[in-house]
Amino acid sequence: MIAAYLDELANALRFDPALARAVVREANDHLCEAVESGPVGDRREAERRAIERFGSAHEVAAQFAVVSLARRNRRVGIAIVLAIVAVMAMMKARVAWYGFIQSTISDDARAIAATVLAIDRYAFWLSAVLGICALIQMGRYRMPVHMHADYRRHLYRSLILCAAATASLLVSVISDIVLAMLQTGLSWSSVSILPMMSLSLEIACVATAVSLTVTSRARVVRTEAVVRRQGDNPHS
Amino acid sequence: MEGEMLKGHLDMIVLAALAAGPAHGYAVIEEIRRRSGQAFDLPEGTIYPALHRLQQAGLLSSRWVTAESGRRRRVYALTRSGTRALVQRRAVWGQFSDAIRGLLDGKRPSDKPA
Repeated sequence: MIAAYLDELANALRFDPALARAVVREANDHLCEAVESGPVGDRREAERRAIERFGSAHEVAAQFAVVSLARRNRRVGIAIVLAIVAVMAMMKARVAWYGFIQSTISDDARAIAATVLAIDRYAFWLSAVLGICALIQMGRYRMPVHMHADYRRHLYRSLILCAAATASLLVSVISDIVLAMLQTGLSWSSVSILPMMSLSLEIACVATAVSLTVTSRARVVRTEAVVRRQGDNPHS
Repeated sequence: MEGEMLKGHLDMIVLAALAAGPAHGYAVIEEIRRRSGQAFDLPEGTIYPALHRLQQAGLLSSRWVTAESGRRRRVYALTRSGTRALVQRRAVWGQFSDAIRGLLDGKRPSDKPA
């Protein structure tokens, strides 16, 4: 009976498999202890009572939905801020490298480079400000027991800030690629190796940020759909 | 006691139950039941989302241990932030309950007999 209940709980928590594994383990310990501490007698009846006292798997899962979404949102915010820091480190490394090899931009390209550099700077600092605002926004709202409209709006607001930070970071990285091409031509030479490596890392960082932001919104929608479906059909 | 009344204070109740020392979920439920004189009777499973929520807020920490039964067990403990939060919530609750008592008794809190 406990095994069947734990299967039901794991299914109800399928929107977050890692959380489901941990919760099922805790629930198993709880239910077994409840049976062992109860009066000696019919084991099946003891398990039935323990499960009844524990509560419906759907209700427990619905409360965990909020915990899961809040945790993932926070991870997205932290990942985006780390991506911004990593991009900044790569930018600094390239500037130091250009200084070391005494590379300069040709006179023809200076005007374009100045414009692209301005775009790069503004986009980068905008992404940093938006990323920090996203983290602050995530920390401001106290997690409710159940999902409700205000908390849903808060989650979406945080994700919008994350998306805006990511978009600005993308503009900055594209500007970096253009500047590197103007500086070194990005050919296969010893001069271009470090800029190419650093730009590859920047592209990986921004791709990760984009992927996390896009999948987070989908996860909010999917989690709510799972919890709502279970509410309509508790035995699914 | 009505479940809906408890839900709004569940976090504070859980923090108070853990003030005595680290405990796993079942022990927390039993502690709540004992200290409330059996007045609080929430579905036991709802303690776990509260424990996870408080841990995410930095008010609790947890670690996995192996119980005597051989089962894996998660034990929760108050962090420093959790202890501070409990002190604050106790103070707020004290003011709230004094105000409600005053309303119900028809007296202001300052009108208490000596």
